[in-house]
Amino acid sequence: MSVAKILEIALRTGRVTRRYPYEPPLLTPEFRGAVKIDPSKCWGCGACVKVCPPNALTLKPAGKEATLEYFVGRCIFCGMCAEVCPAKAIEVTKEFELSATSLEDLKSRVIHRLARCSICGAPIWTEAELRTVVKSSPIAEEYYLVCPKCRKERFAKAAMLRLGAGSE
Amino acid sequence: MKSDSSLSTIVKALEEVGAFVEEVRDSEVYFRVTRENVKAAARALYSLGAYLKTCAGVDERELSGLFAVYYIFGLDDHGVDAVLRVLVPQDDPWTVSVVPDVPAADWCELEVRDLLGIDFRGRLTKRLVLPEDWPEGVYPLRKEFKYDEKPPRVLREELSEEVGIPVGPYHPALHEPEYFELYVEGERVVDVAYRGFHVHRGIEKLAESQRFTYKQVPFLAERICGICGFVHSSCYVMAVEKAAGIVVPERAEFIRSIVLEVERLHSHLLWLGVAAHLLGYDAGFMHAWRIREQVMVLAEYLTGSRKTYGINLIGGVRKDINTEKIDKVLKTITDLRKEFTELVKAMLAVPQIKSRASGTGVLTKAEARALSVVGPVARASGLYRDVRKDYPYLAYKRVSFKVPLYTEGDNLARLLVRVDEVFESIEIIKQLIDMLPGGSVVVEEYDIPSGRRAVAAIEAPRGEDVHFIITGVGRPYRWRVRAPTYQNIPALRAMLRGTPLADAPLTIASIDPCFSCTDRVTVLDVRSGRKSFIRLKQGV
Amino acid sequence: MSSVNIAKALRAIKKSVWVYHLNSGSCNACDIEVLDALTPYFDVERFGIKLVGSPRHADVILFTGPVTRESLPKVVKTIKAMPRPRLILVLGSCGVGGGIWWDTYSTLGGFKKLEEILRENGVEVDRVVYVPGCPVRPEAIIYGMLLLLGLVEQKSKRVEVVASEG
Repeated sequence: MSVAKILEIALRTGRVTRRYPYEPPLLTPEFRGAVKIDPSKCWGCGACVKVCPPNALTLKPAGKEATLEYFVGRCIFCGMCAEVCPAKAIEVTKEFELSATSLEDLKSRVIHRLARCSICGAPIWTEAELRTVVKSSPIAEEYYLVCPKCRKERFAKAAMLRLGAGSE
Repeated sequence: MKSDSSLSTIVKALEEVGAFVEEVRDSEVYFRVTRENVKAAARALYSLGAYLKTCAGVDERELSGLFAVYYIFGLDDHGVDAVLRVLVPQDDPWTVSVVPDVPAADWCELEVRDLLGIDFRGRLTKRLVLPEDWPEGVYPLRKEFKYDEKPPRVLREELSEEVGIPVGPYHPALHEPEYFELYVEGERVVDVAYRGFHVHRGIEKLAESQRFTYKQVPFLAERICGICGFVHSSCYVMAVEKAAGIVVPERAEFIRSIVLEVERLHSHLLWLGVAAHLLGYDAGFMHAWRIREQVMVLAEYLTGSRKTYGINLIGGVRKDINTEKIDKVLKTITDLRKEFTELVKAMLAVPQIKSRASGTGVLTKAEARALSVVGPVARASGLYRDVRKDYPYLAYKRVSFKVPLYTEGDNLARLLVRVDEVFESIEIIKQLIDMLPGGSVVVEEYDIPSGRRAVAAIEAPRGEDVHFIITGVGRPYRWRVRAPTYQNIPALRAMLRGTPLADAPLTIASIDPCFSCTDRVTVLDVRSGRKSFIRLKQGV
Repeated sequence: MSSVNIAKALRAIKKSVWVYHLNSGSCNACDIEVLDALTPYFDVERFGIKLVGSPRHADVILFTGPVTRESLPKVVKTIKAMPRPRLILVLGSCGVGGGIWWDTYSTLGGFKKLEEILRENGVEVDRVVYVPGCPVRPEAIIYGMLLLLGLVEQKSKRVEVVASEG
């Protein structure tokens, strides 16, 4: 009686259930879970913010600080941020047990202090980015702590002096 | 339907009605027509054996000061698309509809009307795609409309008719909100009304906005559909690569084809389980999905995620395949073939399944051709149509496989087509792995000039998926997606007429509507005028 | 408003939860993972969870989708039809944060925005748990459900660190 064939298949297969959470989940080594940002390596450059399709990563400057926020609720787990980070500060983990009772628990922030221009006081870039640049090519402080606008004005003044246009 | 016309005959026939060739690319020929002769041109193409793929409306006022409507016809025998381009002035936005000659253009013309505001004369029109509470005169695809504007809600009388229905199609085994209304006489269905587009999210407009660039759109495309997402993502990158002339490394093409076939396996197994469940055979549902689970694990091992794989990039793929992964692929599909053969034999041995599925939901060959249905629905009605054979793409030029063809056009034929396709997919994967070439998997340097056009098509598990792209600066200028179910749902009216009510759920599920959407059906008895609401389990 | 004793309700349903699946316009990947949770590899029926056909019978609603404009009135009606206490499990990146299309003209932006509209219409929601994922793994759905019932501890925590030299 071939109608009972399905019973035969079932008996032969046995139990395939993985009794999660008492048994390990059905994960493979390639799984992409949530990402983790290492605050000691992050430069605050914003490359990850530019590439994130759902805008789960945002970089908001506010006064003396700029905050890099990772909202795992909107993350699509594509791993592009880890691929483009120049500081290799983003790591893709295998974490999928991310449930929370409030949306605030799903946000993690890295706060960067902003370095200010020594002439006009406007914020230029993060202290972490400055540290990284200086480590690889040592430059004097009077050059790197100046914002692009002031640097242009200073150069224009120096050039005019050199060309003898007066001390104005 | 094979035609004997050569390409030059077709061009001559079109030139006779007043069209002229605008541009010739590798696999598309663009013709310019006016709104006076577009109907004659469409009729000429259709009678010479072409079938309509889709039509797309574009706001080209920034480029040429006019709107444009593109009708994309496919010529199966030559592997070439013929695209008719109609230009419409913005102060007088109307054109002539081709629906009387080519009924398949019904929905796409209504969509152009909804999203761009171009009127189509010579046919009945109604609102199709936009939500019921959308105000008149606001057209999302026009360039002045910002993608995140939220126009105020306008309540219409139709909404009040819905009082008393707790929200449509939410059903235990299903999952996409769609709404069918069946009109019955006694036990037989005489007509069906359909309201869908509950899932309209504004994706085409989003890809044109500042938030997205060419590189990020594959992730957006993957989430158009959660079951056949990789098809959409591959079709988009293929269209951009065609338009820009980027040559993808062969190894990347093979990897894309392997993952596409893996997706086909998971989708057909999913469908088989859902069809079994709708027939009341829950044991078949559980076994089919048990077998399918190994395909999901394989997909995660190959790409990094169970679904929404995210490995497509313009110019190649993100992840490579090594010998361990190849061994896992071979092991999975060998086990799969054994278990699947047994399951199908066990299922078809149940007499009720065979008797309920045969003879119901019949779609004749003539109706199938007129409506330009695609995929297993077409192949079950005798139309030998498969994008992998007619317009070979990626690595399919190098493999040999059969295309299953049945002529009855009933539910059982559609089931058998899908079963055969699973076996063919297993053979294709084996051949692809044997022939896998070496080399890199991505080209890093490329240039995408703006103003180029291309059409790309892929055979998804449900049928043919078409993407039409016009490149812009940094992001697409216009991106039109025509999913296979869009083309198949209008065929339901023909299929459901005369079917007994108890077989209606299976018929609706047999076109594999990116989820079977009949959960909650409204049944209106035409004779007594009595309306009653039945739930799927009751009706079956 | 009558006060609803959530703790008492949770004790009553702990061993057998009746869920209703509500799709407000998602791509379906989360929805087939919900179905997948019923199948032999994950088998949520060992927790006594079963799918029901009507929101009036449901203890918990599984919510997916970014709430499209077309489905909004129908979603409101469905949640209104659910009896108190209303426990909702929001699944996926679309429901939790609006997803990849969180700001388009046709979507609302996820469950948080929907809650405001529900409150305007007098529909109170008693407990919500958010499950991120795209799509959510069946194991993540089980973990979210166990968190909703109070059987596991929450692992996610709000983290704020100042960047400093390593």
